[in-house]
Amino acid sequence: MDSLLYLLVYPQRPLLTTKTIELVGYDKLGAGQNATVAVMSYSGYDIEDAIVMNKASLDRGFGRCIHMKRYCAVNQKYDNNTQDRILRPNRDGTDSGPMRVLDDDGLAAPGEIIRRNDILINKQVPVVTRGQFKSALNDSEFKSVPQRYDGPQGESCVVDKVALCSDKHNNLCFKFLIRHTRRPEVGDKFSSRHGQKGVCGTIVQQEDFPFSERGICPDLIMNPHGFPSRMTVGKMIELLGGKAGVSCGRFHYGSAFGEPGGHADKVEAISETLVRMGFSYDGKDFIYSGITGCPLQAYIFMGPIYYQKLKHMVLDKMHARGSGPRVSLTRQPTEGKARNGGLRVGEMERDCLIAYGASMLLYERLMISSDPFEVQVCRVCGLLGYYNHKLKTGICSSCKNGDNISTMKLPYACKLLIQELQSMNIVPRLKLAEA
Amino acid sequence: MDPQPEPVYYICGDCGMEIPLKPNDVIQCRECGYRILYKKRTRRIVQYEAR
Repeated sequence: MDSLLYLLVYPQRPLLTTKTIELVGYDKLGAGQNATVAVMSYSGYDIEDAIVMNKASLDRGFGRCIHMKRYCAVNQKYDNNTQDRILRPNRDGTDSGPMRVLDDDGLAAPGEIIRRNDILINKQVPVVTRGQFKSALNDSEFKSVPQRYDGPQGESCVVDKVALCSDKHNNLCFKFLIRHTRRPEVGDKFSSRHGQKGVCGTIVQQEDFPFSERGICPDLIMNPHGFPSRMTVGKMIELLGGKAGVSCGRFHYGSAFGEPGGHADKVEAISETLVRMGFSYDGKDFIYSGITGCPLQAYIFMGPIYYQKLKHMVLDKMHARGSGPRVSLTRQPTEGKARNGGLRVGEMERDCLIAYGASMLLYERLMISSDPFEVQVCRVCGLLGYYNHKLKTGICSSCKNGDNISTMKLPYACKLLIQELQSMNIVPRLKLAEA
Repeated sequence: MDPQPEPVYYICGDCGMEIPLKPNDVIQCRECGYRILYKKRTRRIVQYEAR
């Protein structure tokens, strides 16, 4: 079973191919969809290669994909002759709660709708897994460790397949394939076949989309600034060839080699087809604005281009944290989405805050929200002391008294640095300005 | 756990036979000896939302 699988829901054959694509059978393996693209600027949400998408097209299935992920669980055998066990869920009439999707064998059943924190497998592990041989265990010698589904929050997924097999240590192994159908959202990444990738900048109602005299409304709008510096002439030829192909009913070849005897359709021939089908020779259309209903000032270059959905989707990437786990060494927040980590105010961000003079913000980000720690500092020797809970006073261990102790807050990482330097025979001393 | 656990049916990945299994049974098809079994689809009624 694949650990991760992305599928496109309604794949299409590209309208514009090359002989090579046909020879390797790439048009038999639908990887994208033919989107009607209007090359114009619209709404300002299309800067930096972002694309504006038609909401009605998304409703009809454009760019929809299936994301399948495999989750594993093992029924482990241990050295002391014990092994995990899987219990059938106790359903006391209520068909709700995290045990909802479980079958009589304690495993989630295929076809069942599953949400975050639902239990995939109702597993129990023996408390003692080492040492002496044990035979039959009773219920008190097991602890419950159900495996929960850690999918995206607020989304409903489906258990697609559940397989039982044995792994290389002859343990019973369960594999769950979880399916999630996704429609495009703002921030999902798309690309044409010319490396012109871009994220979805905004999704607009079809009513507000521009339309041609024939009533053709684009599926997406691409900013013309993507063309001059990238020089993707192929994309423009694809648009022309696709437009001619869709209107005359023949798949065109879009190869760059239009030599005599070759099989590529030359732009000149494509233009003739376009004129024959009642379009302008240059592929530009007379377009009305969807917002005002007035004709646009310019003719718009519009036609079909084969677009692919890329696997970088916001749903897998978005992350935020209020409070959460910390690293035990530095007591600072963890790093990364998988560990529910914090967002780092790095060195350069710190520089900006220093330059601006936002000292309280710096204090909060670098200490209060990170790793605050209370220490006892001796005003005489400047070393760190300790707090005696019996005497309820701070004591300096080098002066052997508690007369000149001040309590202050500093980042735990700073205290760690001081102690690590001390361990290397370097003595940092704290000089307190106001004690 | 109840004294008489009901067997749950699985489908062999090779020959497609239905195989009843109780807890602690060996995961193997009784007809062809294939060692990968699939769980049957839920009997409960599910309603999917097609957005």
